[in-house]
Amino acid sequence: MSKSLQKQTTASGFILPSIHALPPFFTLQLHPPSQASQTAHWTRLILSYARHRRLFTLRLEDAEVPGGEWDEIFHNSRINRRLKPTHLAFLLSTMVEQGQAIWDPPKQNRVVLLHWRLPEEWAEVLHEWATSTGQLNTILTFYEITDPPIDSAMSGIPTSLLRRAISILSKTGRAQIIEGAEGGGVRFFAPSGKP
Amino acid sequence: MHRRGGLAALERQKQSSASYSQLSSTITATQLASFQTQLTQFRSALIHFANTHRKTIASDPAFRSQFQQMCANIGVDPLAGPKRGGWWAESLGFVGDWTFELGVQIVDICVSTRELNGGIIDMPELIRLLSKLRGVPANGAGGITEEDVIRSIKILEPLGSGYEVLDLGQGRKAVRSVVRELDNDQAAVIGLAGDGSGFVTESTLVSAYQWSRERARAVLENCTMRDGICWIDDQEEGGVRYWVPATMQWDE
Repeated sequence: MSKSLQKQTTASGFILPSIHALPPFFTLQLHPPSQASQTAHWTRLILSYARHRRLFTLRLEDAEVPGGEWDEIFHNSRINRRLKPTHLAFLLSTMVEQGQAIWDPPKQNRVVLLHWRLPEEWAEVLHEWATSTGQLNTILTFYEITDPPIDSAMSGIPTSLLRRAISILSKTGRAQIIEGAEGGGVRFFAPSGKP
Repeated sequence: MHRRGGLAALERQKQSSASYSQLSSTITATQLASFQTQLTQFRSALIHFANTHRKTIASDPAFRSQFQQMCANIGVDPLAGPKRGGWWAESLGFVGDWTFELGVQIVDICVSTRELNGGIIDMPELIRLLSKLRGVPANGAGGITEEDVIRSIKILEPLGSGYEVLDLGQGRKAVRSVVRELDNDQAAVIGLAGDGSGFVTESTLVSAYQWSRERARAVLENCTMRDGICWIDDQEEGGVRYWVPATMQWDE
């Protein structure tokens, strides 16, 4: 009889991969090939969970907050295993190295902004949203984008990521940042650049 | 002038949408049934064709490859059949293709799980994954057997791939896909972990095999840091556990 590892659905409806039921998944492996495989599984898990729950920020402390928003993946109570902060620190820096996250704010190594969509992808999503909701050529505040009255693909996006997406769009003439007293705003244009 | 207001109109609308949806499911069911009949007919026609042209198919490579291509184009898998070798082999006496194809799939599974299990996979787990890949039941009629896997691996031998069937004792087998001899110590570790727990510790090795603690430690060090067949787990109070992913069944 071999031991079997099952997928599991969490309270928030996320499907945990079967490796999440493997106890050594929660101990950083030292053999390089094993470690590479383990790290790839962890980063994929973190990004897909973040996308599932629309989480943008991951802090080193999140490994130690019981009942926190990351608890479902950093803690497996069925096998009594928990991701250690040192292990999470390793994962954070690996993700930053691989472009899956950035230190935000910069010049520290405890908090990252997760790129479950790359800024380039966010730029497209943002422009698509502005177009489909008929908001081209009008001035929008950042607040109107991050907290729209009707939930959108952009709801809750951190301002720093929003700014990066806009600056990508402005390179192709599809958006323009308008600096103002109250946090600033943006105007979107149709792709051809016509007003 | 048509007036479409009022309760009666609302009721009428509800009724008509209900009958539309009923109609649509009837049509879908009829279509499905007719597709199934067509498929069965087609299948028997194909078998008939294969039987009548058996000689040509067997002797003419160009014709054979065209026939195979036709099967592939219309989505009929000549390898998937109710019996060993499929109806294709049954009607034509080809065994080779089925076994070769199985070999390719074995390689596929071994390579894709190698980082996790260090290149050693439990026979039942391999068969389970193979069955999943081919969409056949894991055991029972039409299923893949241990003998099939062993035969396919024999065929891979001339390629120098180093695939080998390991005997772990007590009728348990595993497939090794890395070019390295599995020594008795590693086999002992895999054997003990495969008894159902999925892991070993220094102590369980010492008591199971009457090894010295130093030997157990050295073996575990090799299995973990040289071969990658063990994953360490330091979150248990009774000491470090060495898990052997190769002995576990993975729900994909």
